[in-house]
Amino acid sequence: MGFLRRVWRLISANGGIYSWLTLIAILALYPLLTPSGAALLTATQLFMLITVSSNWNLIGGMTGYVDFGHAVFFGIGAYLMGILVTVVPDYILFSPQLGFWQALPLAGLGAMVFALLIGVPTLRLKGPYFSIAMLGTFVAMREIIRLLKPFTGGGEGLDLPPVLNRTRDYYFMLIFMGVVVALMWWIRRSEFGHSLLAIREDEVGAEMRGIDTTRHKIIAFMIAAFFTGVAGAFWAFQNTYIDPDVVFIEQRTVEMVMSSMLGGLGTVWGPPLGAFILYMLQDLVWANFYNLHLFILGVLLIFIVLFVPEGIIGTLGDRSSTSLGRLLSRGFNRGERTMEERA
Amino acid sequence: MNTASPYLLEGHKITKRFGGLTAVHQVDLAIRPGEIVGLIGPNGSGKTTLFNCLSRLLPIDEGKVIFKGKDITRRKPFQVARMGMSRTFQVIRVYRKMTVLENMLISRQWRGEGLLQMLRPSHPDTERRAHELLDFLMLGHLKHELAGRLSGGQRRLLEIGMALMPDPDLLLLDEATSGVNPTLIETIKDRIRALNREQGKAFLLVEHNIEFIADMCERVYVLNFGELLAEGDPQSIMNNEAVIEAYFGA
Amino acid sequence: MELLLQALFNGILLGGYYAVMVLGFSIIWGVMGVINLAHGEFLMIGAYGAWVLFRVFGIDPFLSLAIIMPVMFGVGYVLQRVLINRVVERPHLISLLVTFGLSIALANLFNVIFTADPRTVPVSYNGSFNILGMTVPIVKTMILGLALLIMFALHVFLQRTRLGRSIRAAAQNKNAARIVGVEVGRVYAITFGIAIALTAAAGAMISPVAPIFPFMGPPFTLKAFTITALGGLGRIPGALLGGMVLGLVETLLATFVPGVGTNVGIAASFVLLVLVLILRPQGLLQGLRPMEVE
Repeated sequence: MGFLRRVWRLISANGGIYSWLTLIAILALYPLLTPSGAALLTATQLFMLITVSSNWNLIGGMTGYVDFGHAVFFGIGAYLMGILVTVVPDYILFSPQLGFWQALPLAGLGAMVFALLIGVPTLRLKGPYFSIAMLGTFVAMREIIRLLKPFTGGGEGLDLPPVLNRTRDYYFMLIFMGVVVALMWWIRRSEFGHSLLAIREDEVGAEMRGIDTTRHKIIAFMIAAFFTGVAGAFWAFQNTYIDPDVVFIEQRTVEMVMSSMLGGLGTVWGPPLGAFILYMLQDLVWANFYNLHLFILGVLLIFIVLFVPEGIIGTLGDRSSTSLGRLLSRGFNRGERTMEERA
Repeated sequence: MNTASPYLLEGHKITKRFGGLTAVHQVDLAIRPGEIVGLIGPNGSGKTTLFNCLSRLLPIDEGKVIFKGKDITRRKPFQVARMGMSRTFQVIRVYRKMTVLENMLISRQWRGEGLLQMLRPSHPDTERRAHELLDFLMLGHLKHELAGRLSGGQRRLLEIGMALMPDPDLLLLDEATSGVNPTLIETIKDRIRALNREQGKAFLLVEHNIEFIADMCERVYVLNFGELLAEGDPQSIMNNEAVIEAYFGA
Repeated sequence: MELLLQALFNGILLGGYYAVMVLGFSIIWGVMGVINLAHGEFLMIGAYGAWVLFRVFGIDPFLSLAIIMPVMFGVGYVLQRVLINRVVERPHLISLLVTFGLSIALANLFNVIFTADPRTVPVSYNGSFNILGMTVPIVKTMILGLALLIMFALHVFLQRTRLGRSIRAAAQNKNAARIVGVEVGRVYAITFGIAIALTAAAGAMISPVAPIFPFMGPPFTLKAFTITALGGLGRIPGALLGGMVLGLVETLLATFVPGVGTNVGIAASFVLLVLVLILRPQGLLQGLRPMEVE
């Protein structure tokens, strides 16, 4: 009972139960309202972007270690899924349909193990080495996948058994996104989350206050890799075809970075908000200047970093350094306040 | 290791070089449990460097550091902090974008690092201790203020509070009074004495403020050009020719 | 045996190129503390510059350096003043994000202008001759010669000229440099200009032997970082050493490991980078301290 009461308090402290129920109801009923497969696919992709951006934000925003190659975990997840459902013999996986569910967590675990292998050498060091090493990992992984032709099909890629079911995909991604965002929200309030923020703000100080910074960074990185890997695996199955050039595209990382920066680096609701705006924005930009859209994204990123580095929630939040931001945020952003509300 | 040692912290022949410059040279130093010890010296004499060596922020080139009978020369800063040695910084390191209370909760008693343990919100004991310490340090009314909005003296107090959170046996305070107004200095003095008397905590104080040292410490070490110049009770140090020379001489 | 000698020779040719390719990256990091993730994109711009000058005016890519370098110096100078100057002396996070955004923007802008089709600069002398049973590719040998010449000129510039000394002073201690009258802002802009000119020159030099396309940049940025990790920051001998190591490893792998193909360099430099980070982080950190007197 005590636990339920606490959950209730948390919900009411974060916008009220009715707004949440309304949101959940709309999202749950959306497939019934819009039977078009294309609309469902778009929504599914938005959920996916929110999911991976929230994970990027865990290491890039909350911990302050910007990951310029986070799409590599998406790719590893996608390829593990591809390999598991095509190359691995049938007697290990039950069937194409069930095999998918078996492969999802395995793909996540694979991404997580890879994160451990990359994290141990690079996150031991403070400073920018991690960021550049991840950029390198991403560029290199595309080529390594090409070289591992017997498993990955090289440049020709892999065809996955086509099991099209847009409604199933929609609900899966909706629930998955819900789990991930809830986890981020929980982490932000946990001792672990506080330690991550401390690492971001002053790593040496955190270490002097008894926080094992390397361990924290690696664990955050592994969590972020796991869910991104699962998302990638799901994407591979949904897309039914993978090759290095469709899986390892820079745009994925750019979108994760952009969503988090736009919404508010290191905040729980920043990546979902940022991803949503980015999607609307891309619709606009894609429709009018299809080719220029990544160019515009790049320029936009520079502008955000230079002029609105705290993103929308950071600027409008009650911790904003501008008085205008605090004024605008009254009653809007109570969710991000102190740890008091838990008591 | 020698667990029967009467000392809480021992530094043996600590040497630290930066490139060609020897910042600390063959310094011996020891602190008993429950003792308040001062460390003074002119600017650039290596006080803060020695401090950083003792708290393991900097690797030591020669010598060793023993804390509670264990050799900590190769341990990492967070391990030393968990063993019960806390410190503050000359340049204040509080988390400006977080509230005073959040600052306190970041620094906390170590209770294991299993993932599930870490994923819990802060322990009720931790929060209670944070509230108690803030009241003890007379910062209770500022709990929800951002640390960046505090005055310099209040930040010093907050840093001391953060250092106290894990309930350490030894506190290293680096320039605890610099930039602090006289009233608050009296508060700091008073709180240090209380902690020392009531809880038996040992202190190592690095200071510019000689008066403060003379007032607080049982023993004082004097550093000059990275070497130990003198050691003794405050009175004899004040009258020591070599010390006067180092401070006021040409 | 002959295969090995040939591979070693090719590795040295490649390594010399890498050494000159990394200079711009290394200087910007060493002097300003900014890690330029758009390094490869400036190289790409240089390569496209050489292609345009070749196709439109028939100018030889090596001669086109005389046009490309001054133009790109100007571009770098202005870019530093309007953009990079805002991120110097701020946390790495900021400069990384800004240069990352710059790299995305530049690559995609060129994708719109030139399309993704690979371009080549077919110079007439792109052949090879034999000496003592070894194949000597003409263009790559010219590149090595030019690379050594550029490194020597840069060395003389940094050591012997007043401006070079100002740059070194700003790299070591900008406050001290300010006190003795170095105008740090201007020095930074000039340094960035020089670095971009060098990077674009590296792009123009490689244009006769490598395909030119908008997304050719990131592998070069990765390699630049690997070489810097291997050889240290801002030191010309270090760049040469790091470049040679990477060039040799890459060539030897491509020669003796069957079926790895041409893109082995990227995988090789990635593995090398991780190895350096695992085995010698302290060496790496020492290597990555601000530029020192050579």
